[in-house]
Amino acid sequence: MASQLYIGSRTVDITPQLPVAVTGQFHLRIAEIAETPLIATVMVLETRGAEGDLAIMVSCDALYIPTDLVALVRQAVKKQLPDIDENKIFLNATHTHTAPVLALDGEYLIPKTGVTQVKDYRKFFVEKISAAIVGAYHDRSPGSVAWGMSYAVAGYNRRIVYADGTSGMSSKTNLPEFRSLEGSEDHDVNTLFFWNDQNKLISIVVGVASPSQEVEGRYAVNADYWHPVREGIKEKYGKDVNVLGWAAAAGDITPHIRYRKEADDRMRNLRNLSRTEELARRIILAVDESYDAVATERHSELVFKHQVEELPLPERWVTEKNYLEAKAFVTNAKEQIAEDPKAADALYRMMNWQERTVKRYEKQLDNPKPMYPMDLHVIRLGDIAICTNEFELFSDFGIRMMARSKALQTFVIQLTGSSDWGSYLPTQRAVNGGAYSAIIHSNIVGPVGGQVLVDRTVEVIDQLWDKEVK
Amino acid sequence: MIFLKHQFFTLLFLSVISFQGYTQSENEDNLKVGWSTADITPDMPVLVAGQFHARLSEGVMDPVTATILALESGEGTNSEKTIWISCDLVGISDGMRATANLRDEIRNRVIKAIPSILPEQIIVNATHTHAAPYVASTASVEDIYGVSLEQMADGKPAMSPSDYIPFAADKIAEGVISAWGKRKPGGMSLGLGHAVVGLNRLQALKHGKSRMYGNTNSPEFSHIEGYEDHSLNLMYFWDINKQLTGIIINIASPSQVSEHSYELSADFWHDTKVALRKSLGDSVYVLAQASSAGDQSPHVMVGSKAEERMQKLLGFAEEGTGRGSNAHRKYIAKQIVDEVTDLFPVMKANIDWQPEFKHEMKLVPLSRRLLSEEDVAEATKEAKTWQAEYDKLKAEVRDNPAMIETPRWYKDITISYSKLRRGLVVSERYELEKVQPKMPIEVHVVRIGDAVFATNPFELYLDYGMQMKAQSPAIQTFIVQLTGSGSYLPTKRSIEGGAYGAVPASTLMGPKGGDELVEETLSIINTMW
Repeated sequence: MASQLYIGSRTVDITPQLPVAVTGQFHLRIAEIAETPLIATVMVLETRGAEGDLAIMVSCDALYIPTDLVALVRQAVKKQLPDIDENKIFLNATHTHTAPVLALDGEYLIPKTGVTQVKDYRKFFVEKISAAIVGAYHDRSPGSVAWGMSYAVAGYNRRIVYADGTSGMSSKTNLPEFRSLEGSEDHDVNTLFFWNDQNKLISIVVGVASPSQEVEGRYAVNADYWHPVREGIKEKYGKDVNVLGWAAAAGDITPHIRYRKEADDRMRNLRNLSRTEELARRIILAVDESYDAVATERHSELVFKHQVEELPLPERWVTEKNYLEAKAFVTNAKEQIAEDPKAADALYRMMNWQERTVKRYEKQLDNPKPMYPMDLHVIRLGDIAICTNEFELFSDFGIRMMARSKALQTFVIQLTGSSDWGSYLPTQRAVNGGAYSAIIHSNIVGPVGGQVLVDRTVEVIDQLWDKEVK
Repeated sequence: MIFLKHQFFTLLFLSVISFQGYTQSENEDNLKVGWSTADITPDMPVLVAGQFHARLSEGVMDPVTATILALESGEGTNSEKTIWISCDLVGISDGMRATANLRDEIRNRVIKAIPSILPEQIIVNATHTHAAPYVASTASVEDIYGVSLEQMADGKPAMSPSDYIPFAADKIAEGVISAWGKRKPGGMSLGLGHAVVGLNRLQALKHGKSRMYGNTNSPEFSHIEGYEDHSLNLMYFWDINKQLTGIIINIASPSQVSEHSYELSADFWHDTKVALRKSLGDSVYVLAQASSAGDQSPHVMVGSKAEERMQKLLGFAEEGTGRGSNAHRKYIAKQIVDEVTDLFPVMKANIDWQPEFKHEMKLVPLSRRLLSEEDVAEATKEAKTWQAEYDKLKAEVRDNPAMIETPRWYKDITISYSKLRRGLVVSERYELEKVQPKMPIEVHVVRIGDAVFATNPFELYLDYGMQMKAQSPAIQTFIVQLTGSGSYLPTKRSIEGGAYGAVPASTLMGPKGGDELVEETLSIINTMW
């Protein structure tokens, strides 16, 4: 049943106090400078009445958002807005690799002094974002929405297949044994435009199947390509426009170019653009095309449903071989760190990464069918669907969802909460090919669980499209 | 006074620029560029190529053309020369698969008129429109499709492939002579853009097999089998006054949106040319090339409803939207034109007046696909089934002659005959591989500045082109497929998937030949750096 849409939106600065440890690489990096601000953008959608519903969506410049931190944000909001269902809140990470560590412990051995502590940044993060949510919630007023789709080449498959059947992640292509890229890509740019009742454009959602990690190696705070995307959009559409960046299924995708890089660099230089600016240029052109096409097709009364559930996903099985290899690595790493504490800068995260595998194996001995409880959100907004997952989800799974969805457009959002500091969800062919993102330490859930995720997501979308919404 | 002084210096500056440009262009090492087009639209019905069933053309949606670019560097008989000819055709017959040889028909006419041009300096490529005249064989139409042209045309005038090929060759050769005669000093600039046009059309299913096209909205759908390449390789050409004369546009997609049309059409390249000329001037030439795209098509595999809606909202709905529509063609054209025009000022500011220019053609022997007895047995069995179907349908027409009053009555019969022939070629190829395990193919490599063009006669699966691009020393590598009569050249992965383009009947070469093509092409490219 169609109802009037109410909307509210806010943008909040979540740039940390410097220096700060940034996450995304195995080695410890302390950022001394902030090259761009980090922000979080809140979008509140609501319909009212007996069948009214609510969605509070927050896009964050972060590598990942630990599930316990999501819970803290919900609790903080609930304290201030006791009448809302706090489970209707979800947060997504754009996957910038130049944002602060958010996992409470286990990721790096961060100096105890002279650097912003993780617990302090987490507190700041929760306060800022919960305040922005409350503000956006109070701002909500009748509004309208339009959806559009265009294309931009902003993400490339990063898994390289060689003649012997193995795969490499972000490895070389200029070799005689290079055969292909392992998976597909999704160049759709899905957009949502929101206007208030004064017909003022207040928010734009941009969904791109590419993580924002072009400057991933820097010792700096940087929102990566989303910063120039937002700045470019604001320049065109108004400085007050709130921009939400959603990363679609892109576990095997990167903004880095895997071949013909020299040609791309040359074109950027001719245009006098940095790589993040070039990515922004492409995305903004797609946004512009959609806006020009759909701006007059606004919907203020529409079907709006938001289903939240805990979806149990079968975890990827840890073999004894996996266990023994991981255990040997951990033992060796501990010895190295004991011998030279400075070795922890390079080894600590990798050691803990493998120690998780050891613990999973030991847990399996008691529970041979471990399940990962994933927070699944599926939204119907008029003709479009929005669905979330907590992983770096390989592109094929997102494409399966989109192919089978009843929605006109399906916005897949990855990294809406992560166990520890995140986990890839690979396809079977990636597991067969091996390489970093498809090995056991990188995957809590494997291809079997991925298909369960696809099937259930499609099932919920189907239900939201049925006349009788269950 | 200030104004005059400013004006004087401006004029002086422009004179220097102009003088420098002219001086550079007068140098014998400078590039000379000539363009022309030839309308190769027949004036009567012809067979339309690209489907199993015969199609007798029922009019002209838009003209089918050949675009000719003549390039020369140096003077006299030793000058380096390349004649590029891009044709709105499905393939360019070259004697590889049948007796027809449009390529040599063109070459023979050109070298007769211009003896300084060598046959191997002429490259002819097809855009792979599936709505253009059939040029693959000079055999009778009854031998090609199992039904005579006279029967299909019901006694009305129609042009056979054996008549169309010399007709097209005459027109194209005239175009080459014109382009050669018009060549003038000019420059080029090299550009890279992006446009999401070609999409991988192979759908891998969960049971391990693949199919070409089909419905991805199925629990059986696993993933898109192969990769895509959305780069838009561009080469702009300028006269000495920095006026754009033409553009090479190279894209990893065949132009087959209107692939079921009974009206002749250049497909999305027509719309692209119209839109580009509207933006950049009526006199601008567009030479279209398909990069390796054997497993690609412009058809949308996932999200077609969303794209169709956007086609409508962008104002292209007049002649229908969705798969096979003119709206889809116009949307593709828009994406290409947006990139080309966006790059225009950058390209104009970066013209190379003396690009390094080299052209080498080599006959490269490639391993034929090694077929098994099981492949032959399976294909022969299928051929028998189609023979029976053909005989049955043929008898129906004989017994009921009024059937031919029905429009396109010949569709099913010609499908059965095409599939019958397709089954029979497998055993022919099996026997041929035993005595001629290698087949020579023409590979042209043309270096222009920091770019290189590398040709092949196949519907080359994208991975091979990507391998060449990844290993090439050139800044940009333009792969040009279908500079011959075609046949798919699939990857090992695709053969395992077993979809249409990878089965024995669709292929002359297999992965071994593909690997050899990559290696040999790169070895020629490397000699130029």
